[in-house]
Amino acid sequence: MENQIKERIKEVISAVFNVPVNIIDDRASPDTIESWDSLNHMNLVAALEEEFDVRLSDQEILEMQNFMLIISILKEHISL
Amino acid sequence: MKNLNYTELLKRNTQLSKSLRNKKYSVHVLSNIITAQLHEILEYTLRIDGIPAEVQSGDYNNIVQDSEKFRDSNLVIIFWELCNLVDGMQYEADLMNDAEVGAIFEKTTAEIALTLKNLTKTSLVLFNRFTALPFTNNAIHKTRLEELAECVNQYLTEIVSANANVRIVDVDKIIALVGSESSIDLRNYYSSKAFYTVKFFKAYSDYVKPFIFSANGKAKKALIFDCDDTLWKGILGEDGFDKIEMSPFTKDGSIFAEIQSLALSLNKQGVLLGLCSKNNPADVDQVLSEHPDMQIRDEHLTIKKVNWNDKVSNLCEIARELNIGLDSLVFVDDSDFEVNLVREQLLEVKVLQVSKRLYEYPNLIRENMGLFYELSKTAEDKKKITMYKEQLERKSARKAFENLGDYLASLDIEMTVFEDDKSIIPRMAQMSQKTNQFNLTTKRYTEGDITRFVEDDDIEVMAISVSDKYGNSGVTGLCIVNTDAVKKAAEIDTFFMSCRIIGRSIEYAFIDHVIHKLKNEGIEKVLARYCKTRKNEQVKEFYDSCGFTLLDSCDSKRSYDLYLDNYKPKEIKHIEIVNGKPD
Repeated sequence: MENQIKERIKEVISAVFNVPVNIIDDRASPDTIESWDSLNHMNLVAALEEEFDVRLSDQEILEMQNFMLIISILKEHISL
Repeated sequence: MKNLNYTELLKRNTQLSKSLRNKKYSVHVLSNIITAQLHEILEYTLRIDGIPAEVQSGDYNNIVQDSEKFRDSNLVIIFWELCNLVDGMQYEADLMNDAEVGAIFEKTTAEIALTLKNLTKTSLVLFNRFTALPFTNNAIHKTRLEELAECVNQYLTEIVSANANVRIVDVDKIIALVGSESSIDLRNYYSSKAFYTVKFFKAYSDYVKPFIFSANGKAKKALIFDCDDTLWKGILGEDGFDKIEMSPFTKDGSIFAEIQSLALSLNKQGVLLGLCSKNNPADVDQVLSEHPDMQIRDEHLTIKKVNWNDKVSNLCEIARELNIGLDSLVFVDDSDFEVNLVREQLLEVKVLQVSKRLYEYPNLIRENMGLFYELSKTAEDKKKITMYKEQLERKSARKAFENLGDYLASLDIEMTVFEDDKSIIPRMAQMSQKTNQFNLTTKRYTEGDITRFVEDDDIEVMAISVSDKYGNSGVTGLCIVNTDAVKKAAEIDTFFMSCRIIGRSIEYAFIDHVIHKLKNEGIEKVLARYCKTRKNEQVKEFYDSCGFTLLDSCDSKRSYDLYLDNYKPKEIKHIEIVNGKPD
């Protein structure tokens, strides 16, 4: 189940930042993905919220600055 | 579109971007808020229907300066958010005194004027109305913010009425459609001045699509209905004349009464109506002429294909007889079989299926009425319906003559030429946006563009109208020539004619006239070009047939020149040429 969620998140990241899914690993962050800037970060949040039907707080949005953090924050919103 | 997930949309848009050719439709969004999410959503909305859009933002809160920088874009969209006119406008406004609000009004209107002045030559500008809604829809009293919005909008409406290339987008309607709470996301407003949600931008893109389609010559022209369970409830051949229902006073009947009214209101705006139905023609004719609840009558229908042939062939015949492309048709039917058949075989036809939940059917039609939107609505559109009918009558008259020459001679054709005529600028712009088939270069021009050409002494703008004993086609052809008096040379930038007047050698009379005029002005040599599109194959060799010399040709382009001394006029005998002023 967790893996499925991981894959869906990867799909979203891949679509938003326009990078291949296979380069997205657990360490994916603005440091490893060039197009992950503050504007695109907003798009990422919009896409994740729509994909998982959740609403994140502004604090969470600020915090989710890499792949592992995204997973741990989303986990709090969706029942795995 | 509203049902397409954002992630999926981004993926598909990336796919579409791979097949874009070099020539892009450039869109710049100028704004005092962050609108980054609009880009791909709008790109996708346009790209799936063949407009190779590339959407970019100007600098944040730099609208006036950007309006100068991006004046050459195909389209400029302006998001000027009231709440960010000054920092904290949404809460400051109510504490301001009259002078302070007045000062903001003065500054904003001056900036609007300057922005629009910079954009006078841009083909199309979409300017969002100012909205106070996101911060005031709980307010019982009218707020300062709403007053300011009203004043600025009033100013905007007035100033825009002078700019034919600008359209105002009523954002309040889009917010109402999506819902205020789903349209605005204040989380990102306080941190990074982003305001609208993905959901809003999807609805926004759908809403503005008709403006952009029309500017690209993609507006639909005809609405074709099946009959049974589409124009009325019931099956005429089985239930009978007395049992079919379209009365405004019965539950299901009232829905079909509404459909007929919507169709008639489109018809009033110049949309052609037609029938494509498997029925006995006499039965349908009886309903059209005698059924008391019928609103659509024979006189509203430009074309009827009521027979037992398959609908694909019938729709093809409809397009051919009306002289419009299949992609100008919208077809409405209730049957899964027919809808799928047409969708599979005629990809260009827009097919609407009568909603299974019947109460949703009228809104289905309403949602799609924008497809017929024309940027420049002119008197010609109203006349056009009768003109199409006249043309169909002409087609049947043709059979009685021995040969086409006899027939043409019997028509008493008169071609009136209008030179640099300001009074028909909207019509000329509209034609340039809509004419696809007999169009040598298919350049799309707005009213602003044409105005510029008409005023330029080195550019000749010649339009024609054609009349014959059956009626007047109105202004239906245009030629734009760039001249260089010093070099004694000219180039034909644009040459097109509406399909309504093709087949009578009017094109030759027109080119005769153009060449004659240029010669009188001392021009010695004319350049001309054919640029291939999906629809203008029929004029590929037009200049060859006029005696021009082919200089160069490749798959997409053919260039020609002509020394005017070598030109042999066609002198079309059955056409009389008149110099005219329109009424």
